[in-house]
Amino acid sequence: MPISSQTQSGLSMPNVGRRAFLGAAAAGAGAFAADMSGLDILKHKLLADELKRQEKHVILLWLAGGASQFETWDPKPGRPTGGPFRAIDTNVSGIRISELMPKLAQRMQYTGIIRSLNTRNADHGGGTTLMETGRPPEGGLDYPDLGAILAHELGRADSQVPDYVSLYTSTEGRHKGGPGFLGSRYAPMFLDKDVMPENIKRLDVVSELDHRERDDLRNLLSQRFARTRHNNTVGSHNSAYQRVRGLMASEKLFDISQEPQAIRDKYGPTQFAEQCIVARRLVEAGTPFVKVARAWWDSHGQNFETHLELVAELDHVMSTLMDDLRERGLLEKTLIITMGEFGRTPQINPSLGRDHFASAWSASLTGCGIKGGTVFGKTDDDGHKVADGEVGAPEFYATILQALGIDHEKHFTYLGSRPIPLTEPGTKPITQLLSNV
Amino acid sequence: MHVRNPHRRRLTSFVLLAGMITVSGLSAVSIAGELLPPEKTIEEVVDHYIQARHATEKVTPAPQSTDANLIRRLSLDLAGRIPTVTEAQAYVAATEPDKRARAVERLLASPDSAYQQRNELDTLLMPKTNDGAWREYLLKACQENRPWDQLFREMMLTSDADEGKKAALMFLKSRARDLDELTNDTCKIFFGVSINCAKCHDHPLVLDWHQDHYFGFYSFFQRTYMNKRNQLSERTEGLVKFKTTEGVEKSAKFMFLTGSVIDEPPAPTLNDDEKKAIEKARKEDEDKKEGPPPPVPAFSPRTRLVELALKSEENRFFSRSIVNRVWARLMGRGLVMPLDQMHSENPASHPELLDWLSRDLVTHGYDLKRLLRGIVLSQAYSRSSTWNGPETQPHDQLFAVGLTRTLTPRQYSLALLFASRNSKSLPEDVLSPDWANRRKDLENHSQHLANQLEVPSDNFQVGVSEALFFANNQHVQNDLLSEGGDRLAGVLKTIPDRNEQLKLAFWTVYTRDPEAEEVAAISQFLDARADRLNVAWQQVIWSMLTSSELRFNH
Repeated sequence: MPISSQTQSGLSMPNVGRRAFLGAAAAGAGAFAADMSGLDILKHKLLADELKRQEKHVILLWLAGGASQFETWDPKPGRPTGGPFRAIDTNVSGIRISELMPKLAQRMQYTGIIRSLNTRNADHGGGTTLMETGRPPEGGLDYPDLGAILAHELGRADSQVPDYVSLYTSTEGRHKGGPGFLGSRYAPMFLDKDVMPENIKRLDVVSELDHRERDDLRNLLSQRFARTRHNNTVGSHNSAYQRVRGLMASEKLFDISQEPQAIRDKYGPTQFAEQCIVARRLVEAGTPFVKVARAWWDSHGQNFETHLELVAELDHVMSTLMDDLRERGLLEKTLIITMGEFGRTPQINPSLGRDHFASAWSASLTGCGIKGGTVFGKTDDDGHKVADGEVGAPEFYATILQALGIDHEKHFTYLGSRPIPLTEPGTKPITQLLSNV
Repeated sequence: MHVRNPHRRRLTSFVLLAGMITVSGLSAVSIAGELLPPEKTIEEVVDHYIQARHATEKVTPAPQSTDANLIRRLSLDLAGRIPTVTEAQAYVAATEPDKRARAVERLLASPDSAYQQRNELDTLLMPKTNDGAWREYLLKACQENRPWDQLFREMMLTSDADEGKKAALMFLKSRARDLDELTNDTCKIFFGVSINCAKCHDHPLVLDWHQDHYFGFYSFFQRTYMNKRNQLSERTEGLVKFKTTEGVEKSAKFMFLTGSVIDEPPAPTLNDDEKKAIEKARKEDEDKKEGPPPPVPAFSPRTRLVELALKSEENRFFSRSIVNRVWARLMGRGLVMPLDQMHSENPASHPELLDWLSRDLVTHGYDLKRLLRGIVLSQAYSRSSTWNGPETQPHDQLFAVGLTRTLTPRQYSLALLFASRNSKSLPEDVLSPDWANRRKDLENHSQHLANQLEVPSDNFQVGVSEALFFANNQHVQNDLLSEGGDRLAGVLKTIPDRNEQLKLAFWTVYTRDPEAEEVAAISQFLDARADRLNVAWQQVIWSMLTSSELRFNH
């Protein structure tokens, strides 16, 4: 794309109307691509507003290692399995959650809780794969994970912001996940060391001008080659390069020092909090899917101390994230999924721990498409079994997809002649949790 | 062992698509007839069948590619790299009528050829691992042009006691923890079919396969395991049981894809004490930290599978699958697509050609080099990859235009290393020991770059992480754009004439002369940087290395 097109669409002019924006976007992927790279999209209210209108997002708060449902969404105070913490009222009458989540309790009108997950796999690896892909593994088929599925469904082909970012800095339980058969176009930008992605900064030895103009030269040479060859992979090679400068411009999205101090103070100083700020900045700029992993919830010993610390952080950070998104008008377009690979046992072991447990546990969905202030499903008195509304990973995924306005039954790709539906035929979403049905 | 269905896949999703295979694309129904005689050459037969289809479809194919383009294509396919400037220009200048055949022989005789063949087989067989001993084993096998059936036997049946060849067992060992994966991969890679749909129910699209076939095939591996010494072992007993969709429990037979069944000879009658003693001895051996591999049982299902699959009445799957894969590698798509759907409901685009080539492979002892040579000598192989005609481009499955192919990570890495070098710093004679050493170094050197790249799959799309890597990584700047005397950026500095510089750069990277539009654009870029031409040339080289023209085989 020649750089001159940046000025042709007029997008850099401050008073451009919504119609003009839509026209420019519709005029072609290339025009849009070039425009975005020249803009500070965070400061450009109009563009940011338009993106918000068009796009839906997901922030997955991944509680790696498996959080206890007893100390979060499904407390059993006074029961032998209940542990030392109490349950508290929330601002939705009839819903009580653990006292470790007082802030979330006051925001219950945005959240739907599922208390009846029975996912059967209580092994870290197997549980992670199941909850990351929404289905049991099938030999010979490499299924994409949720981030890749949603990058595929919600992302723009020419997106100038990354469409799947995964922040996973701790080593415990770290799993890159990935695009499976959807291919590397949908691979996550995986940040395992730093919140700053690899290869996103220009080398000092290459000047800004040279970096831009050598890319123009590359494009000219490459387009000459592509002109007479009708090949999708060649097309994808050139679009990948066209996305580079836009992605480099998104470098500042990862730089939380650009966030006002007042906001950083609200989130707090922890790494999880800072990663959630990055997630919000990405979502605001148009990224469809961000995963933030918080480890390590695997409390085989000292379950209550572990949860005292981790749930308090989750309560504070997730509440702040909800407020922050809401104030920007983004909560209704952003679905926050809070889950891990499984829950924890009702039995409290001799080390005061709880072990792996997949037969009756909880997760929550907040924001976009969710009927807040709802609890779905029930466990028995001591939390040993699901008493009502048993669902598994496929139903949970169908619910997520429907909340985002995606038909969960559609075939999203074909492998040879074999159609691959988003969820297997017959899978039902939990309609009680959906606001849009 | 009892295998439970981990989940039930319902039929609906398949039934919906039942009609699609026949609807899409051009009709390609085999009309059974006499195959061309076996004594014809592969290239004649390829061109006969490909052109016959052009005639019936009333398609005019693209013309033959240029010499320069052809030597580039041949070098990538047979040597895994682009040609050096000297090689390419010598080929273009040569006037012998059989210069193409000579070039093919020269490339096949070069040390590069075994590396390329090894890398291709490695990607096919072990896409997820990078095991040194395995790659060495495979390299040696390719240097000797070991027949494909022999390689299969070695991968399935070598003993851990065979120090020279035991690395072949990596194929099984790396999958031994997951017998489903082992079953599927073996079936897909060697026999060209995916039968995993048939695990939970009879295959809805393919009448050929039922659950009996899936579990029958699985049975051949079900007694295979790794002992504590990491040696591949096989139990003396164990049957696979499964539940049919009707809920009836069945015992699997040792059944191959063709439906042929192997009966296990009745075990000698033993009393309980004898059985216990045998089991105890096996257990003790399994737990030993050191020692020779356990003996192969009198009835070894894995051995029987190999014997059966290679028998002349049964080897159809085995021979057709490798022919289809080699064809796809050289021609850009298989005669059957997808490559793992070679069943009766999914016919080949050129059924007689596939049959003839498979017969030829079997009668010539599974000689893969012979197959490679034959295909690359055909006119079909050397068609231009550009389509300028006013008519729409003919469907890919007609092979009327040379298909543009994504380079594998290894090919692209080596192409980058060769393209960024001063061609004169490389030895001229590919058959010399100098060249062999240099090629080995470059092969090792390419590892770092290859690790950054994804292995292309069907409908491959290049990810943005690749573009970001080339745009901003230090390694690209320091290695590929280095100004050392043995590098392209280094040698260009020493050439005073702009046109000479451009010519050398284009021959080094693209194996051709620059065209006017390119000369103008590059000159403009350079003129704007007249005060720092060396840096400017580095950026020009960057643009050339990252353009699609180097990224693809075309």
